[in-house]
Amino acid sequence: MLTLKELLITYNHKYNSIMSTYLSNISETLISGKGDELKKLIESAVNDGANPGEILNQGLLPGMDAVGQKWKDGDMFMPEVLRSAKAMSNSMDYLRPMLKEGDMGNAGTMVIGTVAGDLHDIGKDLAAMMFEGAGYKVINLGIDQPGESFVNAVKEHQPNILGMSALLTTTMPRMGEVINSLKEAGIRDQVTVIIGGAPVTEEYAGEIGADLYAPNAGSAVEITNEFLQQAQ
Amino acid sequence: MISRTNYTTQQSPHFEILSENQKERIFNGMMRTLQYTGAHVHHEGARELFKKAGCKIDGITVYFPPELIQQALASAPVVTEIFPWDGDDSKKITIEKKRSYFGPGPTPPNFIDTDTLERRKYLRKDASLVARVCDALPNMGYVQSLGSISDVTNGLADVYEFADMVRNTTTPIMSWSFDRNGCRDIHHMGIAMAGSEEAFRHKPNYVFYGEPISPLVSDFHAIDKCMYCAEHRIPQVYSPCAIGGGTVPASHAGQLVVALSESMVGVIASQLINPGTCVIIGGVQSILDMRCSIYSYGAPELSLLSAALTEMVHYCNLPMYSTAGCTDTKKMDMQSAMEASLSINAAMMSGANFVHDCGYTESGLTGDIFQTVMDDELIGMARIIEQGVEVNEDTLAVDVIHNTGPGGHYLYEDHTMEHFRNHWMPTLMDRNSYEAWEEQGRKTMKDRVIEKTRDLIENHEGPINKVPAKANEEIEKILEQAEERIAQTA
Ligand code: B12
Repeated sequence: MLTLKELLITYNHKYNSIMSTYLSNISETLISGKGDELKKLIESAVNDGANPGEILNQGLLPGMDAVGQKWKDGDMFMPEVLRSAKAMSNSMDYLRPMLKEGDMGNAGTMVIGTVAGDLHDIGKDLAAMMFEGAGYKVINLGIDQPGESFVNAVKEHQPNILGMSALLTTTMPRMGEVINSLKEAGIRDQVTVIIGGAPVTEEYAGEIGADLYAPNAGSAVEITNEFLQQAQ
Repeated sequence: MISRTNYTTQQSPHFEILSENQKERIFNGMMRTLQYTGAHVHHEGARELFKKAGCKIDGITVYFPPELIQQALASAPVVTEIFPWDGDDSKKITIEKKRSYFGPGPTPPNFIDTDTLERRKYLRKDASLVARVCDALPNMGYVQSLGSISDVTNGLADVYEFADMVRNTTTPIMSWSFDRNGCRDIHHMGIAMAGSEEAFRHKPNYVFYGEPISPLVSDFHAIDKCMYCAEHRIPQVYSPCAIGGGTVPASHAGQLVVALSESMVGVIASQLINPGTCVIIGGVQSILDMRCSIYSYGAPELSLLSAALTEMVHYCNLPMYSTAGCTDTKKMDMQSAMEASLSINAAMMSGANFVHDCGYTESGLTGDIFQTVMDDELIGMARIIEQGVEVNEDTLAVDVIHNTGPGGHYLYEDHTMEHFRNHWMPTLMDRNSYEAWEEQGRKTMKDRVIEKTRDLIENHEGPINKVPAKANEEIEKILEQAEERIAQTA
């Protein structure tokens, strides 16, 4: 006969091994970008009593880290990364209401858009998806967005990140104008401003008073997260 | 002698990528797309035009019936000519099947400074420089600026560019503009150079370039400019930059379907407005590099897709605006030469009408006139291959062979005198002996390209002093008015 203590230990063992199988499956499914499978997996993990914070911190985030690394190493390509990012963001939508204060993962909220007069959107959308993949809630305003639309979105959604994209030298100045409008509205300090787009440079970001510049969508998340960590 | 019917003296060895059946299927794919998926047209006037012509309209989506497409294709012209403004017809462009003209490309933000060889913003002075250098290059059949001017009033880069370029080259220019205003200003400058509106209509001296947005979108300004050109019978390009795997399917056939479909919107609009006005389609066709997320200008797919689209566009009896001579490198190096060689040869063999982007580096972000000069040489070489082998009694030279006999040589033959000048003469390629090469300073291709380019910059004056005073005055007036227009809207 097992003592109660022994029983508990066996149960805990079993529970732990079930959970760790769940977590590693979640990571792998996320890396392989299978969104539907991932959703089912997370649901059944939650039903089996898994802690949402653990799913996030020990399943999803390590998975996304691996995705990032694989992309850097050239083992994964853009469409694959985007699939994982999409799966990540859908999982986040499901988990978010269940997460507790300290569970982090709620990386924050980002508002992103292409500035007025500019119709280029592929790069901006890639950046948006990468942020989603990193656990951000992303509000994508679209292309050709006038200054007030950025300002209003910052007021409304209270994001910690504002991303702006411009692909034309003629529309680049709009980004500086948005930053000035944020200042005028007294909300410049509430957001970290990151800008990007093919003709944009680090130097230019400095000139117009943006906080950050990223040369591509992949590095954007890393640069932002580093900056936020340092700010803390 | 056997008489030959349908005797072809010279047959150009153009290659073909697609079979008849494949072309038909791609064409039908386009028809189905335009009929059932439709295209967005952000222009009420244009939608009205399409509606009257029998299109179904739902919000901003326009669905085009096949008969309308066929009708537009039937009314597009078979031949159009573009005339150098100084009347020298040696630089005349004849837009017809299998006649290729190469040129630089439009609007990158940066330029390789010709003194420092470093990347910097594109400046106003660069537009005249590019025009002047291209004016002297025998294989640049038309000219684009290789940049967008950063040091003039915001919103007038297009107009200043044309004003400066047209006076620095007689080679026909392909211009672009932000909107209808710029399009009109440029038109008026073209008229000033031609002498009168009537003269311009009769002998257009430039081509206008505009772009729809992949996938399947015509934004307001794009279609508005297209309509302006059609109204005034300005020959125009209406072609997208389609990004395989990004804005269009990653499969090549799918890319061709979308690229054709979105361009067709401009073809239909132009032909409805002014049947018989010249419209050229095609564009940049390449892939999104899924590792670096850049739009690749050096990818072999660019050449394959461009050649295949050329066939499709010719299948539609329209002229093709293709791409070659460009690279993903940041600095002139072996990669830029390799990528340009391959794409120029492919474009030449495809028989595209206009081939742009000779001098595009850094995936379209930096214009480099040195690359253009190198491309000029490559085009010369490719042209030789494209000319093929001429076979007739004279070129077969059986008599000359007989007279010389076994063991002789041909250096003294009149026949040699008559023909050896058809051999291509390099201007940049080194064929020296080792000693001569050493004596001349052990120069590499890069050295020679720089030398030749700088020599042209220094010594080729271009037509600036031939510009009629009246045209000069008018152009200056147009620039002043453009400044006023911008000042008013600001
Ligand atoms: C495709 C394209 C178009 C398409 C856009 C379709 C679409 N759905 O987006 C169309 C045909 C519509 C188009 C139109 C025009 N275009 Co365009 N276009 C391009 C092209 C070829 C590729 C852009 C692209 O999508 N690249 C791939 C993506 C993945 O890269 P990306 O956008 O740079 O984004 C990456 C980074 O920059 C960064 N990033 C981007 N945004 C953001 C935002 C944030 C917050 C962050 C962190 C990062 C980030 O991350 C991305 C991924 O790594 C570029 C050339 C080039 N090499 O960039 C010209 C280019 C940008 N266009 C140019 C021009 C001139 C035009 C037109 C004016 C042409 C005309 N005469 O009509 C019009 C303008 C229309 C308008 N009002 O906006 C010029 C700009 C020159 C200049 N001086 O600024 C370029 C450089 C081409 C050239 N050499 O002339 N274009």
